[in-house]
Amino acid sequence: MSIMEYNGGSVIAMVGKECVAIASDLRLGNQSLGISSHFQKIFPMSDRIYLGLPGLATDVTTLKEQFRLRLNMYTIKEEREIEPETFAHLVSSTLYERRFGPYFIEPVMAGLQKTPSGAYKPFIAATDLIGCLNFAKDFVVAGTASTKLFGVAEGLWEPDLEPEDLFETCAQTLLNAVDRDAYSGWGAEVYVVTKDKVIKRTLKGRMD
Amino acid sequence: MPDGSFSHPQQRQFNPYTENGGTILAIAGADFTVIAGDTRQSEGYSIQTRYAPKVFRLTDRAVLAVNGFAADGNMFVKKVKQRLEWYRHAHAKDMPLRAIARLIQTMLYAQRFFPYYVYNILGGIEEDGSGAVYSFDPVGSYEREACRAAGAASSLVQPFLDNQIYFKNQTAAPGTSHPTHLPLPDVLSIVIDSFTSATERHIEVGDGLEMYIVLAKGRSAQSLEGMRGLQELSTRPDGDRVFVIRKELKKD
Amino acid sequence: MDISFALTGKGYVIVAADTTAARSIIKMKVDEDKIKVISPHLLMAYSGEPGDTVQFAEYVERNLRLYQIRNTHPLRPSSAASWIRGALASSLRSRKPYSVNLLVGGYDTSTYTPHLYWIDYLGTMTSVPFAAHGYGSYFALSLLDRYHDPEASLEEGLATLRRCLDEVAKRLVVSPEKYKVRVVDKDGVREIEL
Repeated sequence: MSIMEYNGGSVIAMVGKECVAIASDLRLGNQSLGISSHFQKIFPMSDRIYLGLPGLATDVTTLKEQFRLRLNMYTIKEEREIEPETFAHLVSSTLYERRFGPYFIEPVMAGLQKTPSGAYKPFIAATDLIGCLNFAKDFVVAGTASTKLFGVAEGLWEPDLEPEDLFETCAQTLLNAVDRDAYSGWGAEVYVVTKDKVIKRTLKGRMD
Repeated sequence: MPDGSFSHPQQRQFNPYTENGGTILAIAGADFTVIAGDTRQSEGYSIQTRYAPKVFRLTDRAVLAVNGFAADGNMFVKKVKQRLEWYRHAHAKDMPLRAIARLIQTMLYAQRFFPYYVYNILGGIEEDGSGAVYSFDPVGSYEREACRAAGAASSLVQPFLDNQIYFKNQTAAPGTSHPTHLPLPDVLSIVIDSFTSATERHIEVGDGLEMYIVLAKGRSAQSLEGMRGLQELSTRPDGDRVFVIRKELKKD
Repeated sequence: MDISFALTGKGYVIVAADTTAARSIIKMKVDEDKIKVISPHLLMAYSGEPGDTVQFAEYVERNLRLYQIRNTHPLRPSSAASWIRGALASSLRSRKPYSVNLLVGGYDTSTYTPHLYWIDYLGTMTSVPFAAHGYGSYFALSLLDRYHDPEASLEEGLATLRRCLDEVAKRLVVSPEKYKVRVVDKDGVREIEL
């Protein structure tokens, strides 16, 4: 019994053209027994940063609260909102603080980074459970369906997708991956972040 | 002890199996089947060879892909081929595909308590001229399907196939329906995409790709003409025909 | 192993827990109350490691009471559940964690809505329309998937609970003989004889 697979769940984030998408399933289980089909794993960290927390469910809640606290402290001290890249390092150091007794979470984040010219640049990143950062240019995955997500995403993803196409790619990748994973599924949700709005869609999926 | 004996009970073990990586895949069309496999053979992090075929022509209408423990796989193919030759001598014809599938089940289950450590995928043309894929587990459970991936990267490829072949999680436009079988060029593109994706993300997949194409009797080979690395393997031009396309995959 | 169920309906939450206290194969007690009334509109069914359960339940009870005294108002169900979860989560990474699983049911007197939270000893919390802990969950959850109605009247809700208890009585080898059933709604908490 692996602790990372105790509750199940998966998250994926993808880069598009001046937009990013992040998606997760909604299952909470106790090994093979399904408990809830409304367990959210993606949380807004600012207007333009979303954080996905697949892994041990108790740590999902703990870390969500922890990041809310640290983000508020940052915003108060700096008198400005955090940028995605800075936030990624905040996530990393928060996890590395518990290097020898880790939170069993592999965070995935997606956001839009402000460039010096005032434009927004898509940003995604993921870390392992002790905070080793992975800044990918295409997509990042985590959770019990990660191998399946890698396979489908590698086949479906292409550069410079428009928001609606990115949504479809991300949704299809997640849905088809979690359908082959016993520990993930039971519904899904997708966030597409663009410079002037965030689109959230809750998807119906197979309920088995 | 001084006399050469041991003071504690000793235990020794011989592990008769290894995993040699790689991935195989087969997709059935209406009147053709594509059976493919990469050619890398590895043990742990070491590459033993960049060209070790995992896909084998059995007859003019049957192709077998074996993946798992390479020694067992090669031995198993050898024995299947031998049984098919005996059949040919006894009956003066090639064994039908569904019969080969059942033969493989019996041969695998005969080794139920010391199994061949391999996943088999059999592809080809049935007697009615339809494309068929049979997939097996190591002890002989089998099923006829439209597509199947097996081996090291099966968990990467299978959900992609669910989406692209079975159109899972896709809704057809109003008044239309999804095709039950895809045309050959589409299938070949999906196979190539599957393997380039698997090569990208899985360390045990890569080096080369061999795609066997079995065409039903009477079906034109037009769509294959001019393809790079194409070679015909069939013994007669007027029956079911077997082709192979060899391609390079990334070697890192 | 203790069995507990809970379900929400139109303006109420029903919480039920068996009343046996067992040690190994021996039933030590058959009238143990494993549902704590934490505040006028909050119920908590607890199960798990004997000793830990009552200790933790009383710890929660006194702390939430202290909050009510200090602030004149009690915590609303969602906040109370979050606090309890936090207590379990910090206990999990302590020297001696509490092994307690909870079903927290409450009626929010500000929004007039019933709330139910499924919480386990790890500090996993989720808001659910119905829930179960222990072996009962393997029987009840599928039944509740089929029969639960968030708009059901109290009578219908109790009938659905009855189905769960009957199924456990029929199919579980070591089924308990008695349950304590409590309801929380706009009028507060009360016990119900099935």
